Order: sequence, then C-alpha cells, then structure tokens
Amino acid sequence: MDFSLIHNLAIGFGTAMSLQNLFYCFMGVLLGTLIGVLPGIGPLATIAMLLPVTFSLPPVSALIMLAGIYYGAQYGGSTTSILVNLPGEAASVITCIDGYQMARQGRAGPALAISAMGSFFAGCVATVIIALFAPPLAEVALKFGPAEYFALMVLGLVGATVLAHGSLIKAIAMTILGLLLGLVGTDVNSGMARYTFGLSELSDGIGFVIVAMGIFGLAEIISNLEQGESASEVFVNKVTGLMPTWKDLKSSSGAILRGTAIGSALGILPGGGALLSSFAAYTLEKKIGDPSGFGKGEIRGVAAPESANNAGAQTSFIPLLTLGIPSNPVMALMIGAMMIQGIAPGPQVMTERPQLFWGMIVSMWIGNLMLVILNLPMIGMWVKLLTVPYRILYPAILLFCAVGVYSLSNQPFDVMLMALFGLFGWVWRKMECEPAPMILGFILGPLMEENLRRAMLLSRGDPSVFATKPICAVLLGISIVLLLITLAPAVRKTREEAFVEE
Amino acid sequence: MKIRSGRDFWAGTMFIAIGVWFAVVAQYYPMGSAVRMGPAYFPTILGGLLALLGVAITIRAFFSKLENPLKMFAFRPLYFVGSVVIGAGTYFADAWFKDMLMVEYGLVGLSLCLFFAAFGGRSLFLILLACLFFGYALKPLGLILAIVILIVISALGGHDFRYKEVTILTVVLAVFSVYGFVKGLGLPFNVWPGE
Repeated sequence: MDFSLIHNLAIGFGTAMSLQNLFYCFMGVLLGTLIGVLPGIGPLATIAMLLPVTFSLPPVSALIMLAGIYYGAQYGGSTTSILVNLPGEAASVITCIDGYQMARQGRAGPALAISAMGSFFAGCVATVIIALFAPPLAEVALKFGPAEYFALMVLGLVGATVLAHGSLIKAIAMTILGLLLGLVGTDVNSGMARYTFGLSELSDGIGFVIVAMGIFGLAEIISNLEQGESASEVFVNKVTGLMPTWKDLKSSSGAILRGTAIGSALGILPGGGALLSSFAAYTLEKKIGDPSGFGKGEIRGVAAPESANNAGAQTSFIPLLTLGIPSNPVMALMIGAMMIQGIAPGPQVMTERPQLFWGMIVSMWIGNLMLVILNLPMIGMWVKLLTVPYRILYPAILLFCAVGVYSLSNQPFDVMLMALFGLFGWVWRKMECEPAPMILGFILGPLMEENLRRAMLLSRGDPSVFATKPICAVLLGISIVLLLITLAPAVRKTREEAFVEE
Repeated sequence: MKIRSGRDFWAGTMFIAIGVWFAVVAQYYPMGSAVRMGPAYFPTILGGLLALLGVAITIRAFFSKLENPLKMFAFRPLYFVGSVVIGAGTYFADAWFKDMLMVEYGLVGLSLCLFFAAFGGRSLFLILLACLFFGYALKPLGLILAIVILIVISALGGHDFRYKEVTILTVVLAVFSVYGFVKGLGLPFNVWPGE
C-alpha cells in the first residue's frame, strides 16, 4: 500500500463526484433496481437495449451507468425473490428458497434489510479489492504478447464452459459456434468478406447487440409466454418492521462475511460472476453450522447468497478492466460499450485513462450507497411494480429491443437479424444448449484469430511457442486441467447437483 | 438402436451441419500457411472441430441417461422446405428481379415468415413477426403506425388479448416513444407516413 492508491482514488472521486456522473450513476442503479424487480427482463437485455442510448454520452458516464445497471439488478432481484418467490434476476434464484419462507412467516422486513446490508457490505469490500488488485494485474498483462493473449482467451472460454449449466460438451460446441459466428464479416488481414452471402449489411460483421438481444431478450419473452403466467402469493402488505432482531444480526454477520469472500473470489474467475457466487455461498452456508433451518426461513440462507452475488458482480469487472477479457456475457457487453466509445479494452486503459478507470471504481461504491437508500425506505414503491402483469410488460420490452436494435444503424435488416437470433435462442433453449458461452466466443472470435495469427507469424509457424513460453504454458495447462477435472466423475456429479435447484 | 435423448440428437445434428457448412464455405477463401494464415485457416479448424463435437453429441443421444422425446416442438417440415426453396430461389435468381424489387422483397419476406412458422410455436411466430413488421414498417409508415403493428401482433402472441389494455398500452408507448426517442434522444425516425 503506498500513496499511489490514495492518489488514484482521489482521481476517481474527482471524476465520479461530478454532477453529471452522479446523475448517470443514479440512473444506472435506478434502472438496475427496476429491471431487477421486474421478472422477465435481466441486466443483459437492459444493457443491450441502452447501448445505443450511451453513444452520445462521454465514455466515463456511459460506463458508470451501464455498470450501475448490473450491480443494481442484484439488489432489485432479491426483493422479488423474497416477496413473491419469483427471482427477478437469475442470480437471485437461490434467495427464493429461504427468503420466501421468511416472508411467509411475516419476517419479510428483516429479510429485505439483511439482504440490503449484506449487499452493501459486499459492495464496499469488492470495490476495495478491485482498487487493490487491478493495478498489479494490469502490470503483468502489459507484458503479454499475442501468444499469451491467445492462451488467456482459451482459459477464459474454458472457464465459461466449465461453469456453464448442463452438458459440458454442448457448452464447448456452443463456444466454438460463437467463435465461428464472430468471424462473419470482413477479415481484418486480407480484407476478404467471409460468410456474408454477398450482403453488404453483414460486411461489418453481425452486431453484438443484435445477437445478445435476440438470444436473451426475445427468446426470454417467448419462453415466458409459453410457460404462462404463474400465480404466486404476493406478500406485499406484510412488509411491516424492517429492523432485524439482534439474533438475526448476530447469525447473519458471519454469513455475510463468508458470502462476500466467496463472491469476490468467484467473480474474478472466467465464467464466474453473480450467478455462480450465490449458488456457491448458499452451499457453503449449508455445510457450515446447523443445516436444519435451511429451506424453512433461515436468515443465513438470505444473507450469504445476497452478499455473494453482489461481490461477484463487482469483482467480475477485474478481468475486464485489467486484461480486456470478459468473464461473463454482461462483461462482454461492457467491452462492446467500450469499443463503441473508441476505447480498446486492456491493461493500457488504467494508465492511459486513469479518470475512466478509477472513476468507474469509485462510482461503484457511490452506487452501492445510493442503492441502500433506494431500496430500503422505498421498498413499497418497488413492490407496487410487481402488480404490473407480464402481458403489459412484454410488448413494451419488445418495443425497446426493436427500437434499440434499429437505431444501431437505422436498418430494418438488423431487426430482422434480431428476430432470427431470437428464433435460434429459443431453439437452443429447447435443446438445452446454454447460450452464455456462445456469446463469449462470439466476442472473442476475431480477437483470438488475430492473436493466433500474430503469435504464429512471430514464431515463424512453429506451434510449439504455446508450450515453451512460460506464462502461455501455465495458462493453457490450467485450461486443460480444468477440463479434465470437470470430466472426472465425482466433480461431474456435484456440478450437476449444484445447478439442479434452478 | 433407439434414440434416447431427442435434445442431444437434434443438437448434435445441428452442430454437424453448421460445422460442415463453415468448413466447406471456407474452402472458397485462401488458406495461407501456418506462418501467414489466410482467411480460411481459422474457420476451417473451428468448423471441423464443431462437426466432430456434433458427432460426439449425436452418438451420446443413443446412450443418454436422460430420456426425452425426439419431437421437441411441433416442427412443420412442409413450411421449412417451402421457406428454403423460396429463399434460395430468390437468392440465386437475384439478377432476374432487377425491375421488380418489390416482388423480390415480398418473396424474401414470405420465406422468412414460413421459416418462423416452421418451428410451430404460436407465441414464437407472432413475437418474431411483430419485430419483423416493425423493422420494415418504420421507415415507410412512420414510428406511430409501426408501434401499433408491433404492440397488436405481439399482444396476440400472449394468453389473453384485452382490447382496452392493448389500446391504452399502444397510446402510452406511442406518446412516450415520440417524446422520448424522437424528441428526447434525437433518433432519426419518421413519426408519420411519408415524412
């Protein structure tokens, strides 16, 4: 710890505290809470929808707002899980189990309060972790050559497939499919148009936003409509006292600490993030101490996953900011947002644009503070939103998706493509092929090809370079070990069990 | 031999088809060498790999522990074939349509609609159709009429269609869009036809 950290944080505060950035931070967390509360629309679709809107903003404000949506959604998601047994957001699925039981026992208030406190604590810790660990990591990354970057991307993709739900082999296939789709468009080296069918609309490649909106936005709506509206008992009027008792605080403080630690660690991993963190934290809580209360309204079962998902959501920014590699689909969208703003993601962001880097980090802490204020006293307002039926909600979501995609380049072709990817997303769901690894592959496809080409050019066509460079060999070694471990029968069983509760 | 997992079977088949297609099309591009990779190099490797994985997944379908039916959704082969025939025909006869662009667009649209309908789901078809119509109606018909089309068709894709609610929703969203998107964000949309 030296003075540079304080100096850097000062730069960050200077940027994040400007009136404009405070406003966009507020808008981000407000929107995040809103979509977190509303089931059927997640942070991914929202960020995709808002990307075109951020074109006209300065880069710092745009990224601050988009980041706010992501971690804001983690707060909002817990509200619906507890009150309606309906996760507003995938990472809150696990909170339903004990949170809803608490609400049924008339203890919705303490559940909400503990989840907000846990989230805030986790958010603060995660912010400090990013500030401490990002600079040294970026320094290492600056020494990376094309071979190391290629190996790093392989590790990122392997991580995403290992942590995806369901079948491993299908996840790998989806990743490769994503890489291939990413290659559509003009080849950078030769200027040749690949897989475009001679259509000029495809010469710049398939827009990332189009794919994300189709697969996550449209396919989600269609699946929801097919399932029909489920009727859950809403405990709206039962939110009376918010204050948890001493006993609640005492038993949940340990859970919050453990959840934060797990979430922070898992968020950094490729493929990790909020979803995995909350599952892991819940499983750990069940193993530690008395498991009898779980499933019947145990407050630790709310505190741990809620802290973990918030910590994970924030630390997943570390690989993005230091290496320029997304660890989950939301981070892939953030990369898209940076590229649109003319910023090449990677370790140089921190040195070349300290305002952007530190401003974003400090804004996360400010955003967390805003979220506590937004969520606790105003809980009643968010709960009212839940009474809006889905049949009114989805045409509006559809309109925003369509307008967002159309405004990318004012072409009806893009909207048609979105519809086509909506169809693909729906078919993949039916086949139980997880689309998340595909979207990572899609973003990394052109980058991987570029780095592979450079690495091979530098080594004069000798592929052994990937084994002889130490960093490279280690990264590829970890990838292989990860894959082998996942294939081992014992791990395979627990992996299937871990995701079965969804 | 019996196919135990329909999901695996169809997923595997799909991966084989896509992998082979990418690898075959790549052969029209220069391959280059390992030192200087041409545009065909990377996609050929990936396409081959994807096809291999597809084969493995298809084989797994015969031994899967999980049993699920071969019929995943109400697929309509006739629509699918029709869509492919019309679409491919229009694509290859592109030059022939030079004086009748509207006819060509119409045929492409028909092919797309048939493709969307081929997968059987009512909600699926109507939601995708709503997007498609919105996209192509926005320029000629203006934002407001395009919104009416999108909301009405997509609302039909739901479970119960209530005239009053849909009308109010359309009006609210139209007003919001005109003030929010066109006036507020300055998106270059026509509000009314022929502006």
